Formats: sequence, structure tokens, C-alpha cells
Amino acid sequence: MNASIDTHQTDVLILGSGGAGLFAALHAKQTNPDLDITIAVKGLLGKSGCTRMVQGGYNVAIADGDSVERHFMDTIVGGKWLPRQDMAWELCVKSVERIQELENELGCFFDRNSDGTLHQKAFAGQSFDRTVHKGDLTGIEIINRLMEQVNALEVNRLEEHRAIELIPARDGSGIAGVLLIDMRTGTYRFIKAKAVLLATGAGPTMYLYHTPSGDKSCDGLAMALRYGLSLRDMEMVQFHPTGLLGGRDTRMTGTVLEEGLRGAGGYLLNGDGHRFMKDYHDNAERATRDIVSRGIYEEMRRGNVTSMGGVYIEMAHLGPDNVSKRFPGMVKRCADCGFDLAGGRVEVVPTAHYMMGGIECGIDTASASPGLFIAGEDCGGVHGANRLGGNGVGNSTVYGGIAGESMAAFIAANPNIKDEDQHVIEQGIARAEKPFGKTPENLPALRDSLYQTMWDKVGILRNKKDLSSAVSEITAQHQSLDDIGLQDGQRAFNLTWHDWLNMQSLFDISKVITAASLARNDSRGAHFREDFPHTGDLNSTCYIRTSGSVDQLVTEAVPVDFSIVKPGESLIDDEASVPPATA
Amino acid sequence: MLKVSIWRGVDEGEFIDYEVPMRANQTVLDIVTEVQRNQEPDLAYRFACRVGVCGSCAMTVNGRPRWTCRSHVNDVIDGDRLVLEPLRSHPRIRDLVVDLAPFFETWKGSGAVFKPSATRDDKPVKITADDPARKNADAGIECINCAVCYSACDVVSWDKNYLGPAALNRAWTLVNDAKHGERKETLNKALGDGGCGSCHSMGNCTRNCPVGLSPSAGIAGLKKFALRGLPKVEKP
Repeated sequence: MNASIDTHQTDVLILGSGGAGLFAALHAKQTNPDLDITIAVKGLLGKSGCTRMVQGGYNVAIADGDSVERHFMDTIVGGKWLPRQDMAWELCVKSVERIQELENELGCFFDRNSDGTLHQKAFAGQSFDRTVHKGDLTGIEIINRLMEQVNALEVNRLEEHRAIELIPARDGSGIAGVLLIDMRTGTYRFIKAKAVLLATGAGPTMYLYHTPSGDKSCDGLAMALRYGLSLRDMEMVQFHPTGLLGGRDTRMTGTVLEEGLRGAGGYLLNGDGHRFMKDYHDNAERATRDIVSRGIYEEMRRGNVTSMGGVYIEMAHLGPDNVSKRFPGMVKRCADCGFDLAGGRVEVVPTAHYMMGGIECGIDTASASPGLFIAGEDCGGVHGANRLGGNGVGNSTVYGGIAGESMAAFIAANPNIKDEDQHVIEQGIARAEKPFGKTPENLPALRDSLYQTMWDKVGILRNKKDLSSAVSEITAQHQSLDDIGLQDGQRAFNLTWHDWLNMQSLFDISKVITAASLARNDSRGAHFREDFPHTGDLNSTCYIRTSGSVDQLVTEAVPVDFSIVKPGESLIDDEASVPPATA
Repeated sequence: MLKVSIWRGVDEGEFIDYEVPMRANQTVLDIVTEVQRNQEPDLAYRFACRVGVCGSCAMTVNGRPRWTCRSHVNDVIDGDRLVLEPLRSHPRIRDLVVDLAPFFETWKGSGAVFKPSATRDDKPVKITADDPARKNADAGIECINCAVCYSACDVVSWDKNYLGPAALNRAWTLVNDAKHGERKETLNKALGDGGCGSCHSMGNCTRNCPVGLSPSAGIAGLKKFALRGLPKVEKP
């Protein structure tokens, strides 16, 4: 075994550099400028993760006539009464401050109305036009400005460093640090820290078709589960209806063609050219993401498909010039990949987009383990059964900032570094070393098997029989991964080793998604059980908590605390009333 | 089959030839992925978003710097051949991967860091989209910091002090930003040592920018401001 471990010490260690990680760095430094802060990220700082990829925008109740209460109610109703209400409330309140911080302190410039005020667009599932945006590339504006500020700070940057294990204190008093691989050298590094933020961005990349950036593989969730934390709402995987289909072994496959195309009047046609969505819902293509995804999936199951196995999106009836003008980014992207979106037909398929579920933590982002904090897509509870478009980047930036403040406060009260549990470091290294020394075998074929099982059996339409068979298939596939060897030698920037490690995390979390899907015997939001097609009584809504070791997962139905509003009630009858107290 | 020559090694190394199956909708990123997955498990390359927003995957393709996730093979191939090398003017890590840290250092040198003139407790300022200064800023703002322009620039390749097109483009957007608290300081830095004065106006940055920005226009604008002074911007 490779025994050389490079050890460093810092005050705050942040894993991830999307909206959550970078805001945490900024706010921790603002709260206490003396803190030594280290950002470790699997790719380049500010360039990996999905905040940068945000097309839609940022929901915020700042316009006349809108209110935090209305934003909150949309979030709760959209989440099918499953969100953790105090977290959703905090999201809606703090979004207002955060958007002003982005504009005024970081220098973002979002689109304006003709009078110079912020333009806010309509987005599905919302009762008010509240989505602040920068064209259809909002994420670039946000992350570029964030990067610029963080790059100007004195912080330690560990780029292309992948975390492989959260290391507890020897005395069990909390977290002591994180074990990482320096991907550029292929060596191990242990960072001792007083506080750690897990903001690695989850990402449902275990499905045949998926949208997130290539660095995402649920590493944070898998590490948290091993560390002993509980996850919630893991059955809630949002599928976006229109992912680009590019054919076998193309990285472009699964990436999102934006919602606005359907909103503007785009048609979805099956393999025979029939406009099928009218057969499923009165709103046809303009129905919500989950309904359209199910409609497309049903056509695929019936075999009414295009040559590459999806359906077509067609915009030409709106006038190719008009389409090019309204959706320049999408038209250009399709053209670069060889497709004519403005004048022809482009093949699309539903694609796994976002995990509403994640690690359980408090509204201050603190996990159950002292010193360990969670923010962004790694955190569960804010969105419940469905995330509204425009609440994702809000979640990352709001809770990232809160995490920075919480970590600074935690360190003020707990200034000592903890002694690490050496045994867990050794286990972490042993896990990463496992493939070396065995006979190299074909990794892509195994990845394809996982993709297919998750897509067919734990995807858009689920039932007990398929989910049960998925459990045994995934278990067998995971065993095969453990038996696969990798050629040793060049460990610096060895992507195949990291593919193997990615798949370890994906197998772990695929098992969690499957277990949680089996445990939820109803249908709501992103989760649809063909054998339990109804939502049932909202007043007895429970969320599914999953914990335990990955081979002995324990699921538990926990009643949702309607601490702010109960099913059947609303906060927006009297908007002038005092905001509700948070729980 | 497609013939691909890929640089293997760091500063010392060699081109190795591979053959990759042709597919209908193939990008250069798909080609290197195919080689890594099925032929050379330890081939080093970098990518993240797959859709042209993160600027992680750029490399030199048949002699020109390009984003690879959005470069269709049919558009960049020379006969039946692809030659792939790391971006020039950056320290090399291995194979097709370079270290972009020095590139980001240049941004600080150009004064390209926004300084606030208001706080999170203030309403966003009213600025209209047809404000001329804002139009200047907007034209250059959607940079994905992929370093293609930096790699394309001949001045960068011989003058280690030159800040380069990307950092100066950001400086240009900032001196046009009414909300930026240090417009004058940014202008002075952009005009200072290694700044706009070093640009030879060859336009390689603009010709190669994958998102269609024009750093040359920004640099020309900064030079104009040097002569005429900063224009007034709509007061926030």
C-alpha cells in the first residue's frame, strides 16, 4: 500500500466550488478575516459543478405585488408538501438579500426592464413572474463574478483534488478532516480542519441520460452515508423532459435543451411524427416537467421512437429566423453538434437532472456531526418532491453563504483541531487502492449496465417488481466493480482510476435511491409508482429517511412537520400580515 | 476509422497515433474520451460541463486552440486526421492538460476585480439595457474563461509580462460598469505595465473566441479611454 500521505492543516475546508462552496468561502472570510480557508475541488475552481450551467435563473420575491409568502407557498405546493418548511422559508427570505449581494457586492448584472429595474420572467409552477436572469446563461454571470471575488481572496486552492473520505475525530467528538487524492499527482493528502463544508453537488449521473457536469458522481452523498449521516427524499430525482440525444458514446447526450423551447410553443413528436403530448395532458408540451417526462417515456416504452430511441422536438413552425433570434444559445449548441434546431427536428429524451434529496442538516447547515456542514445539492429537504426551476441556484447560494457564517461561528466556539481516527484514513486508502493489482477489465461496459438498470427500473415510472429486481442487479454489478482491476503505473491525472472511484459512489447512491423508491408507496412530484399512482392524504405526508451501511440500508417514514403551513391552508390570503415565525 | 495523433507526456514527450471509430455526431471531446475508455486508460484530458459553459476542455486541435466539447469533428478535421496537443503558453501538467493558474493570475494584474459601490441591503441600481456603457460591458461579459484567446495570442507567447486578452477584456467590461467602485484604478492598471500597450492588434483572440467575443475591440476601447479619459456612466 502507498503509505505516503501529505498532511496539511486549515481552519475551514470547503469541498466543492459551485455556488455553495464559493459563497461559503466569501462569507466565512467576511465573518472572520483571520480564518485560514482551503477550497478543494474535483475540477478547476469555479469551473466544475452545475451553478455555472444554470440557464433559467434565480427566483426571488422582490417585485411589487410579489411576496416571500407567495414564493414560499409556490415552493411548498410545487414540492407536494414534502419540503422541510423552515428551510424553504429561509430560502425564500434570504434569496432577496442574496440577489442584492450578487448585484451590488459581486458585480453581477442581470437583465433589466425598460425602466432599469430587474427583469423577472415567468417560470413553470410559479404564481408570479419572479425569476431573475441573465439571458439564458445566468449561471455564467453568477459563477464568474463569484470566482473573481474568491480568486482575489487569500485562500488555499486545491484544484483537481477529489475527496474520498470524511475522517472523524478519534474521540468521536465530530469531524477531524478529509482524506483526498491530489489528482494531478495521484497521491493521497489528508487535510485537518476545524470545520468542513460538504458542497460537492450530488448529481444523478447514474442514469443512462443525465444533465450534470461530468465531474459529478455523488461522492459527497456516498461519503456522508459511510460517515454515518442520514439522507432524506432520495427517491426524488428530477427528470428534465428534453435532453439532447447525440447517439452512442457522445458526451453531449443528455445535456439540457431549455424549458423555454416548449414554453414558446415547440412541438414534441414521436417516431411517426405524431404530436403525442396532447394524448397525455390538456397542456400538451407546456405541462410540467414531470408530466412531459412521463409522456415521452411512455412513448419510448411503446416503441414510438426516433432512430436514436427518443422523440423529436420541432420549432420550425414558429419560423426558423424567429427561433434563432429567441434561442441563440440553444440553436448554436445544436448546430455545433450537427443538428438544426431552428428549421429541422432534433432528437430528445428525458434526462436525469437534479436530486431533491440529500443529507439531513439544520437551517444553519450543520449536520449531526459537530464541525461538518452541508450546502447546495448535497443537502436534502428544501425542495421536497420537486424543485421549482430557479430555486436550485437560490438554494446553493443562500445556504452556501449561511454555511460560511455558521462555520466561522463554530470555530469561534470550538477553536481546537481534533485528532483524527487513523483507522478510517487507512480504510479510505484501502478502498481507493482496491483495483490495483487485479486484472484490468472493461469499465465502460459495467457503467452501461448501471445506467440501463437505473433508467429502466428506478427511473421515470417505477413499480415494486422492477425496483426489487433493480436491487439485485445493482448489487451484482457493484460486486463486479469491486472485482475489476486497473492497470497501475501512471497515477497522475489517471481518469480511469477516477472513473472507477466515481462508479463506487454511484453504486452506493443508486442503492439508496432504489431503497427510498421502494419505501415510498405513493406518487408525488418526481416520484411515480405505477402500483401506487395516487398521492394520498397530504396531512399524513412523511418523508423517507435512509441511513445505515450501503449493504444494509434502513428506511424510515418520518412525518413532515407542517411548522409554517398545513395542507389546505395558505399564507397568501392576507399578504400584509406578519410573516410566520420559523420553526 | 479516424486517425488521431495525441501528445503524450509533459514538456518532453511524443505524438502517439490512435484509430477511433467514426460516428455521426462526434466532437473532439468524444474522440479523446473514446481513446481513454477503450485504448489508453491513463490518457489525461480535462472536461466538465459538456455544453460549452465551463471552459475546461480547450486544447490545440490541428494547430488551433478550440473548445473540444463543442467542436464537431467534421468542422475541424484535416483530411482524415486530427492532431491534438495541449494549449500553448500554459505550463503543462500531462498529455492534454495544462495548468491554468498563471492565466487566472493575470486577471488580478489587470485590475479585473469588481469593487462594490453598494451593499446587499441596497436595491439593485436602475440601469437600462440601452445605456451605452452598459452595452459595451454586455458585449464582452459572457466570457467562459477557457483561455483559448490567451493561447491564440502571439504576444502572450513571447512576452511573459503581457496580461493577455481575457484579463483585459474583463477590465474593459469593468471600466464600463457603473456599479464598479474603482473604474479609474482598473483603467490605470489595464494601461500599465504589460497591459493594452503590449497588444499588437493581430486579432487572434477575437478570431478564435468560441463564444464570439471581441477582446480586440475591448483593448482598442481601453486605449481610446486612455486618450480621452473615462466617459461618464449613468449614475447608479
